[in-house]
Amino acid sequence: MDVRSVVFGALAGALVGIAAAFAQDSRNLLEQKESLYNNIYVYEQPPYVSMTFGHNRRIYTESVYNTRDDRDLPVEYTRFMTASLMYAKELHSILEIGFGGGRTSWYLHRYLPNVAVTSVELDPTVVELAKKYFGIKEEPNFRIANRDGRLFLSESKDKYDIILIDAYRGPFVPFHLLTREFYQIVKDHLADGGVVAQNVEPSTMLFDSAVKTINAVFPQLDFYRADGNIVTVAYDGAERKAEDLAGLARDRDKAFGLRYSLMEMLSQRRHIQIAGGTVIDPSAKVLTDDFAPVETLKNIERHNRKLP
Amino acid sequence: MTAPSRGSSLAIYASAFVVGGVLMGFEMLGSRYLFPYFGGSIGTWASLISTVLCALAIGYFAGSAIVSLYPSQKTIGLFVLIAAAYLACVPATADPVMEKILSVLGDGPSATLTAATALLLVPLSLLGTFSPIAVSLLTRTAEDAGRVAGLVYGVSTIGNVAGTLFTTFTLIPAVGSRAITYIFAAVLAGCAGVLFLPLGNKI
Repeated sequence: MDVRSVVFGALAGALVGIAAAFAQDSRNLLEQKESLYNNIYVYEQPPYVSMTFGHNRRIYTESVYNTRDDRDLPVEYTRFMTASLMYAKELHSILEIGFGGGRTSWYLHRYLPNVAVTSVELDPTVVELAKKYFGIKEEPNFRIANRDGRLFLSESKDKYDIILIDAYRGPFVPFHLLTREFYQIVKDHLADGGVVAQNVEPSTMLFDSAVKTINAVFPQLDFYRADGNIVTVAYDGAERKAEDLAGLARDRDKAFGLRYSLMEMLSQRRHIQIAGGTVIDPSAKVLTDDFAPVETLKNIERHNRKLP
Repeated sequence: MTAPSRGSSLAIYASAFVVGGVLMGFEMLGSRYLFPYFGGSIGTWASLISTVLCALAIGYFAGSAIVSLYPSQKTIGLFVLIAAAYLACVPATADPVMEKILSVLGDGPSATLTAATALLLVPLSLLGTFSPIAVSLLTRTAEDAGRVAGLVYGVSTIGNVAGTLFTTFTLIPAVGSRAITYIFAAVLAGCAGVLFLPLGNKI
């Protein structure tokens, strides 16, 4: 009985993929690095630098950095991740799970220098390349932990006002970051009035299950549509009224001088009702540590259901 | 050497396939038990794979050591049955055990190796004894040994492949990890039952 044949098969497949990436590229490749988890490519197309994983650049772009402007967020959904700022009751600490090139957390750090921003990234090479090419440096109130996101939270005793989740990257969908048990751990680490924002890619059935799973732990869901992605903002308790959110949005836009105005984002807010079954497939299952077929769900295209 | 009957040979080859399938299927399932506690890192996979291979080495050595003492179908049937019983205990006990390991050892290599060991080592070592004993039971003459060994390992490796793919692409998407573990336990118990049947062990 032997597992070697399986391992060699996988290796051969990976090599073919790398070769394909070389063949099709036209942008200027600054560096490629094989890490513990990914084949990472850093490309330059002035003034932008981008990081991609795996061999499919179209799908697996992780992060884009404007080298002339470190507060620019060129990828639209990352702007909507900051919509979470108008939900949190207090703003003392922010946690980001899934750092990548670190644009979102760096933006938050630059505009809210007095708020402790912590990012958790599994892949040490991603952090290394972010520091080398994406203008990232660790400094007071900006910390990066090299850890599995769930493990970090399980072991942490801290609470956060905002938890941003953007951890399924490139070809990898870590199932243990998409289960009800995981979101329960997230909830346990939210401060009073805290909020979760998660980037979810809406083209496959994984979207329905992911949203339903978030909803199993957080009763309130708001969607923000960005091209190709949906940012889900989730929180506990009663639904926040638009006028209350507007109050906080106005205050914080002014207090921090935010480039991407919370007031403008608020106009894009869609409060979601799961129960009707119009938005989310009623047959979609809540994912648990026991049952989470994330790869399979990701392979089923989403049909016939309108996104708000 | 006494030749096994036709029915008996068939039962042994079929069991080699099934045991091979469950073995790799349970390794794939191991990731579902470990990831929530120790993260989805390459270290967790390395621990799982090395533990499986260790278990196989132990099984092969143990099998070769005892094969001359207890060369019977009942011996392998018994080992498969004990492995089935171990698997049947896993769903109810895995979470407290993983939690304990996480709290005592953290999440480094020693923790993932310990967790993989707790989960896999005992049942897979028992299943590892299958092939050497099966080869011995099926071999009639000394010249026959190579041919039989090749067949047993070939069949069992095809079982490995089938178990890996079936678990990953059919079982995990359809039912929960705990249920799959019970299915594996039941399949192994059935396999042990077949091995216990008096299929004319000796002519």
